[in-house]
Amino acid sequence: MQNITGTLKTDREALKKLLPAEDILEFPFTSENGCEFICMFTDPITDKELLGQLVARPLFRYDGDKSAEEIGKRLAFPEQRKEKSLDKLAEEILAGNPVLLWEGMDEGLIVGTKKVFIRAVAEPPTDVTIKGPREGFIEDVKVNTSLVRRRLKTGELKIEYLKVGRRSQTFVAVCYLEGTSVQKVVDEVKEKLNRIDIDIIPDSSYLARFLSSRPESLMKQVGTTEKPDIFCAKIAEGRVGILVDGSPIALTVPYLIVEDFQSSEDYYVPSYRATFTRLIRLFALIVAIYLPAFYVAAQIFKLQLFPIKLLLTIAGSIRDLPFSPSLEMLLVLIVLEILNEASIRMPKYVGMALSVVGALVLGETAVSAGFVSTPAIIIIAFSGIGLYAVPNLIEETSVIRLVMLLVAGSVGTYGIILATGFIIFYLVTTDTFGSPLVAPFSPVIGKDLKDSLVKYNLASLDTRPVSLGSKNKRRLRHE
Amino acid sequence: MNKISTRQLCFFLAAIVPVGKIVLLPTNLIYYSKNNLLFPAAMNIILQAGIVFLVLLLAKENRSLYELISDKLGKVTAKIILTVFSIFFFYAAFMPLLEQKILVQGIFYDTLPSILAFSSFFAFSAYLCAKPLSSLGRTWDILAPLSIVAFIGIFFLSIGSADFGALAPALQSGAGEIFRGFAFNMGWFLDSAILLSFLGKIDYQKGLPWKGLISYLAGGAAVLFFLAIFYGVFQETAINQEFAFSKIAKYFPGIETLGRIDFIFVYSLSLVMAFYAILPLQAGIDLLQQSYGKAEKRLLPALLSIAVNIVMLVLTLLFDHRYISLNFLINQDLFWIFPIFCLLLPALMLLFKIRRHREPQ
Amino acid sequence: MNRNKFIRTLKTIPIKLWLILAAIIAFSFLSNDFGLVDVQKTAIVLAAGIDRNQEKGYTLTAQIAVPKGVDRTTGGTSSVEFVAEGETIADCVSDIYCKTGWVPKFIFCNLIILGEDTAKEGNVFDAFDFFLRNEYMSDGCFVAVCQGSAQDLLSSESAIDDTSSMAITKLFSDANVKSGKSMKMSLREFAIGYYGATKSGYMPYIVQHKQETNASSGGSGQQQGESQPKEQKIYCAERTALFSEGKQVALLDPDDTFAFSLIEGNVFTGYLLAEEDGKPVSLTVLKDEGSVSLDTKGAPKVTVKVELTVRLFNRSVPSDIDDVSSNEVSDELKENAQKVVREEVERVFETSRQNGCDLFKLNQTLYRSSLKKYEEFKDTLLSAVPVTYEIDIKTAK
Repeated sequence: MQNITGTLKTDREALKKLLPAEDILEFPFTSENGCEFICMFTDPITDKELLGQLVARPLFRYDGDKSAEEIGKRLAFPEQRKEKSLDKLAEEILAGNPVLLWEGMDEGLIVGTKKVFIRAVAEPPTDVTIKGPREGFIEDVKVNTSLVRRRLKTGELKIEYLKVGRRSQTFVAVCYLEGTSVQKVVDEVKEKLNRIDIDIIPDSSYLARFLSSRPESLMKQVGTTEKPDIFCAKIAEGRVGILVDGSPIALTVPYLIVEDFQSSEDYYVPSYRATFTRLIRLFALIVAIYLPAFYVAAQIFKLQLFPIKLLLTIAGSIRDLPFSPSLEMLLVLIVLEILNEASIRMPKYVGMALSVVGALVLGETAVSAGFVSTPAIIIIAFSGIGLYAVPNLIEETSVIRLVMLLVAGSVGTYGIILATGFIIFYLVTTDTFGSPLVAPFSPVIGKDLKDSLVKYNLASLDTRPVSLGSKNKRRLRHE
Repeated sequence: MNKISTRQLCFFLAAIVPVGKIVLLPTNLIYYSKNNLLFPAAMNIILQAGIVFLVLLLAKENRSLYELISDKLGKVTAKIILTVFSIFFFYAAFMPLLEQKILVQGIFYDTLPSILAFSSFFAFSAYLCAKPLSSLGRTWDILAPLSIVAFIGIFFLSIGSADFGALAPALQSGAGEIFRGFAFNMGWFLDSAILLSFLGKIDYQKGLPWKGLISYLAGGAAVLFFLAIFYGVFQETAINQEFAFSKIAKYFPGIETLGRIDFIFVYSLSLVMAFYAILPLQAGIDLLQQSYGKAEKRLLPALLSIAVNIVMLVLTLLFDHRYISLNFLINQDLFWIFPIFCLLLPALMLLFKIRRHREPQ
Repeated sequence: MNRNKFIRTLKTIPIKLWLILAAIIAFSFLSNDFGLVDVQKTAIVLAAGIDRNQEKGYTLTAQIAVPKGVDRTTGGTSSVEFVAEGETIADCVSDIYCKTGWVPKFIFCNLIILGEDTAKEGNVFDAFDFFLRNEYMSDGCFVAVCQGSAQDLLSSESAIDDTSSMAITKLFSDANVKSGKSMKMSLREFAIGYYGATKSGYMPYIVQHKQETNASSGGSGQQQGESQPKEQKIYCAERTALFSEGKQVALLDPDDTFAFSLIEGNVFTGYLLAEEDGKPVSLTVLKDEGSVSLDTKGAPKVTVKVELTVRLFNRSVPSDIDDVSSNEVSDELKENAQKVVREEVERVFETSRQNGCDLFKLNQTLYRSSLKKYEEFKDTLLSAVPVTYEIDIKTAK
């Protein structure tokens, strides 16, 4: 490792060699006492105005001692530190913090005038609530940690920063409540993060893959949220939270599948309402996954699944269709996925046109032209809506829906039963960070069932989830 | 994977075990015992419950069957006994598999499907058989409530159509009928033998044998109640009603307007049944793994699973249309095999335990 | 192959197996052929009519639902009847398959109609055999006998529904059965009676009547606005055919059918006709507690009990307003009603007894109570058992 020599010219050249990029600029100036300074910084991410006001202007008139301490005092800028290593100095320059070098000084002074581009804290588009806090995480890890800290004003909240990504050097904040979170899980998270040897981390979802014990798994093994209130609630339950610089999506581990059936709003509305909505979400998800499959299987293999009147309606609708029932459903499903994919990424004004094209042209016209039947469109529409009742599981459930459809079209209802059996077995035998994915249903944990698909009154939820294994069990004390 | 807890084991005995007894057993019982079908069924249930109790006493040892036997009789003998048990399980698995096959053909399709439609079962079976037996505990946590709800649903939909008077006159047609019903239907009561393969995988807690006994009897009571409803619904024509559980609920008046809502329960039970039908194969493979493999290595069970399931698939294809003759051969002509492996040997295992505890004195 | 390479190869096996499985599923999905029949290749049989055929054994009339297509502006269910002949019912079914190319599926078959000849000549279970053996058919379907041939009945055009079988099954609705005007019977119940100790059973007997209407008022394949007289039928199941050992042995007329309903305890808001001062008066039955009990202590004895709670419903003469508001049943009317019911009940019992039809399951009751006595009396029970009739009519206060 190369260190600063104290010879300005040599050190400048050494840094230039390390940072040959054109946007690395240098600003040489001489103070009143004749001392030569060079300030090196990265053009687009350094706040030059702040640099000029707080660094260059005071030093122009400086005629005191050349020691780092004296110069530091003169700057009167709180965020500054000294560093000898040229590599570290280069890293800081790339991070947006200018480095000040001057003749005869064997240390560089890092000044924290990084230019921060942040958007305002706003309601996350993926998790809108009617009742409850509307703040969402943004892309800046510091702002995000401040949002967490504001909600958990306790010394037990530990935020440990790590750098991940060889080139991106992304800040990752591991947040947990000491004494509440399971230390083994904290250590495992840190170990896994430290082990990651990848060049860049553009988003937290990258880390999610590395944190999973079965990265190829169909089911995700890391929870996600964009809302600080949920994030804090999860940490308070004993989970470990991970905030990633550059990503508004926070990660939490251990992840239990039941989390995705809960919304923050459930805790702000009466318990019977919360229970009802959770059951509705489950029902919607089951319908979304199974309806197209059973519709196809019934038509091909088991007509009895339809009441006779409905069967005759369907039989009338599909008469003279050019495709088999299974192929018809597959095509409609693929069209739905394409529309879905396109509408998410389209600009809003084009998206509006796209939904008109999707709804009218593809739906109505395809039915009129006899390409697809009306029941198939209705089934897929219902399924499509149902899937969004649990938005955090869309990636997984849309794949399962497709698999179910393929199995239904080839083996029929028995195939659906066996595929369900396979999924059940797969889910119940998957653990994330020592917690069973399907807890509290398998293994059955009576206390945790109070906040699962049913939701008891808040006053009854006096213990933290047993499935997370926290030693600090009680969260609510009764008088 | 964690050990099987007391709750999971009770779920298994009370809610999973009964589903294996509601497909062809009812008609088989009626064939031998007519309207007295409840008595041979009850005799088998009570006997099995007793043996289940004894096997669960062994669970206290926290040792696998292989370890228990090899401690007393040496590793070679243990390997021989476990291999024989495995062969028995593969033999005993065949009827439930054939039962599954004709069930699938009967209730999942409107016309007789190709045998290939049932082949998917073996893919599922091969997957499960390659997994550790202890992982089933958590599966039971999900399947047991499903099974209980489905049983209640079927009872609710069918009880109105049942004429329980049809079970009379009881015990008037002679003990022979009842004994034949008892003896020739033992093949459906493998539960205590299967539990042997779970030894060493159970998290023993105080009172487990009693809880297991009560759970088994509770499940048995559900089976008896089911049999009573079944005979009450079909009476003299019951002998012709295979796949009993899929038929008894369809006479519910609401079905005319709602469609076959009973299929929700029938399919739920079929799901549970698929797991239960595979269990003898899993038990057989697990015993071979105990004897010849290493606990942490899953290669042997994976290979065994593929091999066993391919053989079973071939046998199913070969005996596709010989169910009735096979049923007579396995359950009637060779019925004596079942009491040996499902009553006698499991009970004998307990002797090892008692002697082992007396040794220090 | 070195050990590491071997282990790496082994580790890829599950992925390869999954890929093979996925390929098989995809192939079978796209080929979509497991020898199975989807809804487009299926003939959904709504009802089956069976007639005896002197030459070939049976004539099967299968009423097949015809989907109406996307235009569902008209209600009802369209259907078409296919007639096939064969030595067995299965033979007839395969004949339909040959003629239409559709695979007939009986899963939705809700009605089996036997022609008059089928019911009277030989055992009807030679025809039912096919349905009892068929795993893909529900034995919960209604069974009935019809006047004339089943083919004529199913092929007739109903005045109240596009499909004759749909119109017929309306006769077996719970509401109709509660009126006491008709009985209903399912294949399962009929088979239980036949295979049980009674060896007897009954079926509703359907008669079709002509109804003159305009064609534009109903029917499926008609042109809108066209108005030409067309013969349409209405159906009636007021009679009941009695069976013994699978053969029709007697026919209960409408009054007997009503009495049979009363004995069975089926009637709720049915109407009983009696006379007062020589004028007909309708009584509504609010409660019907009918039963047939067999006393097996000693020699078997039968008690037929009918206990009715009635209210005056309609006089055929003008009444003063006090009478209209009170609905009071006079003693004379009650006695007359009691007499009418007694006569009808006696007639039903005697008809069944004389024809060897164990309509009230006496043998079954005896069998269930004592196997020994059943063996002793089974041959003489029906013909020789003494009967006591207890008819009691109460007035709703």
